[in-house]
Amino acid sequence: MRRAPLLLLLLPILQGTPPRDDGQWTMPGKNYAATRYSGLAQITTRNAPRLRAVWSFSTGVLGGHEGQPLVVGSTMYVVTPFPDVLYAFDLTREGYPLKWKYRPEVNPTALGIACCDAINRGAVYADGKIIYNLLDGHTVAVDAVSGRELWKTQIADMGQGETTPMAPFVAGNRVIVGPSGGEFGIYGWVKGLDVATGKILWTAHNMGPDSLMLARPGRGRYTGDANIGVSSWEGDSWRRGGAPVWGWISYDPQLDLIYFGTGNPGPYNTEQRPGENKWTNSVLARRPRDGTLVWAYQFTPHDSWDFDANAEMILVDLMVGGRMRKVLVHFDKNGFAYTLDRVTGELLVAEPFANVTWAKGINKRTGMPIVDTTKTTGASRGNVQGICPSLEGGKSPASPAAYSPRTGLFYTATNNLCMNFEAAPVTRIPGTPYIGATTPYVAGPGGYMGEFIAWDAARGRKVWGIKEQFPVWSGSVVTAGDVVFFGTLDGWFKAADAKTGRVLWKFKVGSGVVGAPISYRGPNGKQYIAVYAGIGGDWFLLSGDVRSDDPADVRPPADFAPDLARHTSQGGMVWIFGL
Amino acid sequence: MLAALAACGRSDSGVSGGIPASIRYPDHVAAGGAQPPAGEITNPLASDSANVADGSKIFSSMNCDGCHGGGALGWVGPSLVDGRWRYGGTDGALFQSIFYGRPRGMPAYGGILSPGAIWKIVSYIRAQPVPVTVPTESFK
Repeated sequence: MRRAPLLLLLLPILQGTPPRDDGQWTMPGKNYAATRYSGLAQITTRNAPRLRAVWSFSTGVLGGHEGQPLVVGSTMYVVTPFPDVLYAFDLTREGYPLKWKYRPEVNPTALGIACCDAINRGAVYADGKIIYNLLDGHTVAVDAVSGRELWKTQIADMGQGETTPMAPFVAGNRVIVGPSGGEFGIYGWVKGLDVATGKILWTAHNMGPDSLMLARPGRGRYTGDANIGVSSWEGDSWRRGGAPVWGWISYDPQLDLIYFGTGNPGPYNTEQRPGENKWTNSVLARRPRDGTLVWAYQFTPHDSWDFDANAEMILVDLMVGGRMRKVLVHFDKNGFAYTLDRVTGELLVAEPFANVTWAKGINKRTGMPIVDTTKTTGASRGNVQGICPSLEGGKSPASPAAYSPRTGLFYTATNNLCMNFEAAPVTRIPGTPYIGATTPYVAGPGGYMGEFIAWDAARGRKVWGIKEQFPVWSGSVVTAGDVVFFGTLDGWFKAADAKTGRVLWKFKVGSGVVGAPISYRGPNGKQYIAVYAGIGGDWFLLSGDVRSDDPADVRPPADFAPDLARHTSQGGMVWIFGL
Repeated sequence: MLAALAACGRSDSGVSGGIPASIRYPDHVAAGGAQPPAGEITNPLASDSANVADGSKIFSSMNCDGCHGGGALGWVGPSLVDGRWRYGGTDGALFQSIFYGRPRGMPAYGGILSPGAIWKIVSYIRAQPVPVTVPTESFK
């Protein structure tokens, strides 16, 4: 008897009945598993066409509005891009007036250290505190009731090119934080802070000696060679090798492991860092209590294309080869969607979800990509043409996916962009960019630049897609009403049938969407959807002519997307929709 | 003779001992119409192709393009080729922006670049053509 191909045996298994949704949204990905699934079901595929805007609020800030609001009890919390204002809205009163706003002191020098706009990816609620990062390298905890600052800790060093726009994560009594700076030659790390005091309790680097990586080769499940964080680099290049932690973190309380991705090695010119450059572009599993590295897997060894692995790791249970596996699902910038055993780090599935030319596939036995060496870049290799995806990623890590246990599908924004890549030698000057490449983009095959897709992570295939003229850069939320929400760069916020991909409703929110929608239950018992408008992030750099606030900064349109500014300019709005 | 050379050096570069003099910002409104005491410093280098080419190389090698973009078209930092200036576009203002940095993210390069190298960057920036049709963008 022929054995059925492995992939056909990967069937999503519903994890029993999910606990009743409490109607709140207290952490970036909704829950520890980062599914961005709301159990609320008042909004359905039938009534979604009747959705209407019930409230909006200008944040007064124009930077890219990434991330998501929080709803804790009857209060909504919104963190703006730099200067990182925290608003607390009273959802019990008409017009949702502010309870308070917190105006931290933030060093504007950060504007020149943040690689890609002065964004912030949001806050987390824990222990009565709203905890978030300021762009200039500080984590703050603010009393959720009074708005009073409880602690403020410097975690990063701007002089070394570190800034901190990521959303902190809380596991147990640890606040987990990391820096941006893959374009500044940082020495990447994560830190564990005490929730109560903000004190830094541990620092774990992503490369370098085992003692600094908090790795113990040969013990437990960690299979890395001794000091592989040094030996997989040339000389001391690991000291400025990047590996930022600017994406999302998830947590399995049973296994007591946090999961996060690391970013690109620096510089982009590969010839300045021979070796596999571990653990850049990797997923790391660590103990939240003390930071111990339990396992690691590298998606793109010796990265030639800026394929950061900072995208979310979504934790679900799947039937694999007839056996129930605890897995994590990850949509990488490199264009492959990975399903890994989250206990061991074993690779189970890796299939392209976007147009990919840099690799022919992933060797499931070795876990290594089968690289098309004609697409390998480096200063001596000239201008390498036709690399797909572009370094914006098949999907941006800034655009977190959602998973519905009802449909068994993942929902994610994708980009259909390709690039040429011309690397050049570059010198590290601390506090200045450390890049070394020019990488113009072009639309991928088909001429459209983005698509919002539903993905079957068990079989590794796309189920449906909604094509968009521009790259899709928003996060998503999927609900128990089988409605999935996402936004577009040209400023539409859309609801689609989670089973079929049919667009049910759309609304023009005033500026391009790069944030992630949430769903919550208001004090009146009704289900609402909230999302930010406010184009930015990479699109602040790439769009060219979408800024109008500075008379001394006038730019031509992006050559690959010259029409974008016809549909959007910068803006910063919080929108709430309901029936 | 030595004193004359030193004086000449100051007037040519506007820089004494590597530290630039305070300069006048002609676009600032002077309270009461009274300009504060300040000097003018002008680029002592010829705006020839060699200095511009050197400035272009320094613009890249010192990672200026990492923020201002290739061709200085604007990236996370503002465009330097649109003919518009946040902090003034005179020789002296450009020199000061590079030497001392600016508060919204511009690092100070005066500690690692010689005044001569900074003037070459100024030569490069000022040699870029300014588009004449910037104010209106039409869509087809």
